Amino acid sequence: MGSILYYTLGAIISFILAFTVGITYMGLDRKITARVQNRIGPPWYQNFLDVSKLYFKKTNIHQGIMQHMGAAFMMVTAVMALLIVPIFNHGHFFPNLNFQGDLIFLLYIMVFGQLGMALGVGQTGNPNAAIGITRGLSQMTGYEIPWVLALVALMIQYKTTSIVDLMNVQAETGRWLMFSSPFAFLAAILAMLGMFSHAPFDIMVAPNELASGPISEYGGKYLSILMSAGAVFMFAKLTLYVDLFMGGSSNLLALLIKTFSFFLIPVLYGIVSPRYRTEQAIRYFWGWPSLFGLLAVIQAVILK
Amino acid sequence: MNMIYILFSIFLAGAILTWVADKISGILRDLFFLLTVLSATTFFYLKIPVGYTTNITLAGLHLQWGITAFGWYFSLIVLGLGTMAAFYALSYMKGKERLGYFYFNFLISLLSMMGILMSRDLVSFFIFWEIMTWSSYFIVIYKGKHVQRSGINYLLFSAIGAYAMLMAIVMVYAHTQSLLIPDMIQAFPFFTLSAKIWLPILFLTAFSVKAAMMPLHVWAPDAYSDSPMAYTSVFSGALSKMGIYGMVLVFVTMISYLPNDTAFRETFAWLGAITAIMGTLWAIAQDDARKLLAWSSVAQLGYIITGVAIGTELAILAALFMAVMHALFKGTLFLVVGAVEKQTGKVKFSEVSGLIRKMPWTFIAALFSIITLAGIPPLGGFVGKWMLYQSLISSNHVILVVAIFFASTAAFLYCYKFLFGFFLGQEEPEIAHVREAPLLMIIPMLILSLLESILGVYPQIIFRPLDAAMQTLGFPATQVHFWNTSVLFNEWGNQVALKPLFYAVAGIFLFFFLVLTIKGWKTTRKVSTKDISTSGEIPKQNENLTYSINFYQPFLRAVAPAMKRRMMTYYREIGSGLEAFFDYTRRLYSGNGQTYAIYVIIFVVLLLLFKNSLFS
Amino acid sequence: MVGSPVLFIAVPLLAAFLIPLLGFVWKESIRILPGLVLIYLLVLAVTLLEQVMHTGTIVEVIAGWAPPWGINLVFSPFTGVLVTLMITMGLIIWFYSYKFKNVAFEEATKYFILFMMLVTGSVGIVLTGDIFNQFVFIEITSISAYALTAFYKGRDSAEASFKYLMIGSLSSMFLLLAIILIYSQLGTLNMADIASKAHLMKPEFKILAVIFFITGLGIEAEIFPLNGWAPDAYSQAPGPVGAAFAGIVVKAGVYALIRIIFTLFDVSGTHQFLIVIGLTTMIIAEMAAIKQDRLKRMLAYSSLGQMGLVLVAFGMGTEEGIFAALFMMINHAVTKSLLFLSGSYLVYNSTDKFISETNGMGRLLPITSFLFALGSLGIVGMPPFSGFWSKFFMLSAAAHSNMVLIIALVLSVSLIELVYYFRVVNRVYFFKKESKIEPKKPTVNALIAMITLGLIILVIGFYPNLITGYLHHASQALLDKGKYIHDVLSTGQLLTH
Repeated sequence: MGSILYYTLGAIISFILAFTVGITYMGLDRKITARVQNRIGPPWYQNFLDVSKLYFKKTNIHQGIMQHMGAAFMMVTAVMALLIVPIFNHGHFFPNLNFQGDLIFLLYIMVFGQLGMALGVGQTGNPNAAIGITRGLSQMTGYEIPWVLALVALMIQYKTTSIVDLMNVQAETGRWLMFSSPFAFLAAILAMLGMFSHAPFDIMVAPNELASGPISEYGGKYLSILMSAGAVFMFAKLTLYVDLFMGGSSNLLALLIKTFSFFLIPVLYGIVSPRYRTEQAIRYFWGWPSLFGLLAVIQAVILK
Repeated sequence: MNMIYILFSIFLAGAILTWVADKISGILRDLFFLLTVLSATTFFYLKIPVGYTTNITLAGLHLQWGITAFGWYFSLIVLGLGTMAAFYALSYMKGKERLGYFYFNFLISLLSMMGILMSRDLVSFFIFWEIMTWSSYFIVIYKGKHVQRSGINYLLFSAIGAYAMLMAIVMVYAHTQSLLIPDMIQAFPFFTLSAKIWLPILFLTAFSVKAAMMPLHVWAPDAYSDSPMAYTSVFSGALSKMGIYGMVLVFVTMISYLPNDTAFRETFAWLGAITAIMGTLWAIAQDDARKLLAWSSVAQLGYIITGVAIGTELAILAALFMAVMHALFKGTLFLVVGAVEKQTGKVKFSEVSGLIRKMPWTFIAALFSIITLAGIPPLGGFVGKWMLYQSLISSNHVILVVAIFFASTAAFLYCYKFLFGFFLGQEEPEIAHVREAPLLMIIPMLILSLLESILGVYPQIIFRPLDAAMQTLGFPATQVHFWNTSVLFNEWGNQVALKPLFYAVAGIFLFFFLVLTIKGWKTTRKVSTKDISTSGEIPKQNENLTYSINFYQPFLRAVAPAMKRRMMTYYREIGSGLEAFFDYTRRLYSGNGQTYAIYVIIFVVLLLLFKNSLFS
Repeated sequence: MVGSPVLFIAVPLLAAFLIPLLGFVWKESIRILPGLVLIYLLVLAVTLLEQVMHTGTIVEVIAGWAPPWGINLVFSPFTGVLVTLMITMGLIIWFYSYKFKNVAFEEATKYFILFMMLVTGSVGIVLTGDIFNQFVFIEITSISAYALTAFYKGRDSAEASFKYLMIGSLSSMFLLLAIILIYSQLGTLNMADIASKAHLMKPEFKILAVIFFITGLGIEAEIFPLNGWAPDAYSQAPGPVGAAFAGIVVKAGVYALIRIIFTLFDVSGTHQFLIVIGLTTMIIAEMAAIKQDRLKRMLAYSSLGQMGLVLVAFGMGTEEGIFAALFMMINHAVTKSLLFLSGSYLVYNSTDKFISETNGMGRLLPITSFLFALGSLGIVGMPPFSGFWSKFFMLSAAAHSNMVLIIALVLSVSLIELVYYFRVVNRVYFFKKESKIEPKKPTVNALIAMITLGLIILVIGFYPNLITGYLHHASQALLDKGKYIHDVLSTGQLLTH
């Protein structure tokens, strides 16, 4: 009983941390984008305001039970990902649920919420939403290939599917995997561009074409929960990258610096790129990124 | 009295009685049908313990029937799914024609599958295999649509497989003078090299046809979608598993005696992976729900074949576990399509949408099965997928695992399409009259989906008999004690504890669900699906805005090169070429008496000319 | 003792002559008499067969002339099995055609006389131990067959009959040539005697005789390319006659060919020749069958193909091969007759007998269609019907002789067969009726006859042990040439002493 309480407490603290950091990053994203485009842009805390405003809206409408639950599904994925990815190297205070952080489980639980939300979106009957979903799912088949290639390369080289084990490897050898497995790193980074649905891979939300795609029928508390889930999920994914390629982080400052630098990659790349069409995006991921992934696998097989 | 005889007699007598009763009264027929399935199932599990064998001599051949733990494991699929589909069929088939015919073949195909599982010798195996072929064929053509195309295709491909197997059987019989399967396996290492290579190929051809492995899959999409859904559920769920059953036997025994088995294993693993990928792509392109599921079955069996072909302990565990899961979810999904078809009369995604409020229970069954199909935790599909990936990774099949991963990711596309196409989207006035399917159809679907979710948390229910099966196949008993705690292990010691994960998922979901629901309970209201924002316009009541045509067009554009060629085209070309050749040959019989007389003369002259080289 | 083998010839011949006479007394008797005769013969055949299994071959000497001078009848397990088969088929076909078309008295008289002659001739071919006597029986069979083919008096049937006659006379010519050759060389016409003296014959003459025999008997046994007459004859003759051709006549032809090759001469190369010619016959016939658009022609070609397969099995020359061949002959007789009998009701009132005219008959003629489907399942060798066992034993025999290529060929051809039979079955059950032709309900006796055949298919399918014992004896009897010669010739010695 005690352990359950302990875990719950840890989960809540992780959640608050992830929420805060994630929302801040999203605000910073808007700010940076604005500055690059020579605008002033909203303040960095604007997204906090947005989330709270949405949450306290008086009337909420939905088109059915699936839509009602959609946001909760999304939250499950975000929090589960957060719980599985170790936030700190020796984080006794941030216990992770699976002790080892199994990568394959992580990959699959990441889809859970997206599919759940997609179902919710589907119930609205808004064609834009469904179009957004099909684009998103299609794009996922694109970036999944380099991403899995990179992960598989790491897995077979170090004979483990656990994130913790991979972090331990980095701690033992003293070298980050981004240097010892450069190709895997490259493939993973390129896949990350798609995973974050940031420009140029933002066809699924496509704000000025699809009226923000999947979430176009969500408003009020639903949108607020969805935004929070997005923030938490983003933080979890960034932490995963840090854990995999930068050896994890031992304190909050390191965590923030490392995650933010990862965060800058899609943001900066996106600002200067026009949007890809879906099939272009898919083909892009099956091109160079997958080639890097293959190289990573070859390297892993040789070095094993 | 011999228990296995009694079991077969129950099926056979039941089938005939059902058929006869159809001429008398519908209720009597339904009663006989249900009684047969139930009594046979009960009898099998109560009276025929694992290890029961009996010897028979038929036509001078020594045959043996019996049940091993491995066969018993598959019997769970056959009888379990069979019973559920039988209940469902009673309601689904109501009011259709030729019901005696349908139920007769339904029962006979259950009988044949049990027969396959209980055959300990090659001839009985073949006999039951062929009975399975024709009984299922008669159901494929039951509706009378495309009988000459899809029916004959199915029959032809099955026959190609069956004859390959028959060839192997007579070769084995000639070599060993025994038809018993254990004898064959014992004698196999001493065969000549060419026999060692050909026998597995021939056997695997037969099994690949039934398991719809590329390039022998072309019959499957049509056959699955043309038979009535109550049977397709068994067809795709259980009957195709007979192919897997045979494949496992071949890969565990014969292939492992080959001096160079890697080539075999790699080839089949890759064929499985290609099947998975192509099946998935074609499933995505379908607009007909039955076709979508049919292609998806092809794809899913691809994963299983890959697992079987790899042949490590974990891989076979994964494959066999996935076999059960596939039976559960694909069985349910076909039943769902049947329910939708029965209630709305439509099976195309572009023709019907927004059924979720009309058919909520059907939707729940579909949802659970789709989640299981996609392999998303915490339902049962994940367990199989996880073990399959782990086995591929730890046996260094790097590219293969990426291929399988791609197929599974792409599978999300059709998963979503299935749920969205039928149940989501805008609710149209045309479906206002639609009611939920009858109870007798809902309950089997819900039982099956419940099993899917239970197995996601307590896979040991399946793992215990599976472990016994694995021991029959010659693998050591290893992981039972881990499974008892619902923890999955791979060969490197990495683990996934299913129970805490399930509780976490459930807990988080419930928490946020409550947050969403309680917050502003009074001010949250439901609006119609027509009340949406479409760039400032409000759609009219009769305007259907559901997006269902060209659903994945961008994706299909991206993968178009892979789908440009269809296997079916090649077969059709071969077929028409052959027919032209036959027609040419037919002209030898000109119908003219003089020609025939000339043939006789030519025949004699030729014989006389070559008499010294022909005879001595 | 119910009787002796000579009754197989004497009783039906006598009946054939009595039929028209009795017809003056009581019209119905022309229909009843053949049945009574056949029932008696069946009892006789079964009793003798049972006896032969225990005590060995019965050799009956006719008119006290001992072999090798006189004519003798040999009832060995091998011939016994065939005779029993033929009588059984004869009985069933008689019962089917009891109310044959309800034709006029005169025509019915002709039909039953000819039918009795056909059965007598075929049984005689099998039983006789004398080669010239066999020729005579072949002629009896052929002449009744020509007449039966032309039974309908139409243009087409006359043409078919004429073709049959033309090729048939070629056959007689070659047979006579062969017999003359043998008689000039060995001075004997008794088969056992020829067999024991065959080594004395000059090889060139021996081979020449074999070639003439193969040609002459090949026409009766319907091997390619000598079988051009067969499809026409089968399809133009009335349904039950088609069945009798497939179930009785062709079996006699094959028997004669096999007897020549297995017993009379020890020419090497004949077995291989049988295999090659059998395969060719089978492949070409099946290829032709799939492209037919008339039902009976399709069945006829299929029959040719099946007999080709039987020859292949005989050609293996092993006991298993012969066992399989006999099994196949039985199955083919039963199943193909069933197909002819039920098929002729499916296209009863049609003039063209197109396959497309069977569309939708499943609803109108449920039992006939069911039996046709059952026959189709049986003939393509689907278990658990009888066809499967013979196919299995045939392939197994081939595997024992290491003939892998043959197995592959036979199985590939079976695929063709599967396709065209099931195309028809699908039409019968699942197509909408298009033509305006009214279906004809089968008469009760026809139904019973067909159901009997269907039951035989099922019973043998489920319990092949019923006949395998006899077949094993039979195949041993064929192979044991020495015993045959001894059995026949020792009877003669017994008589002379």
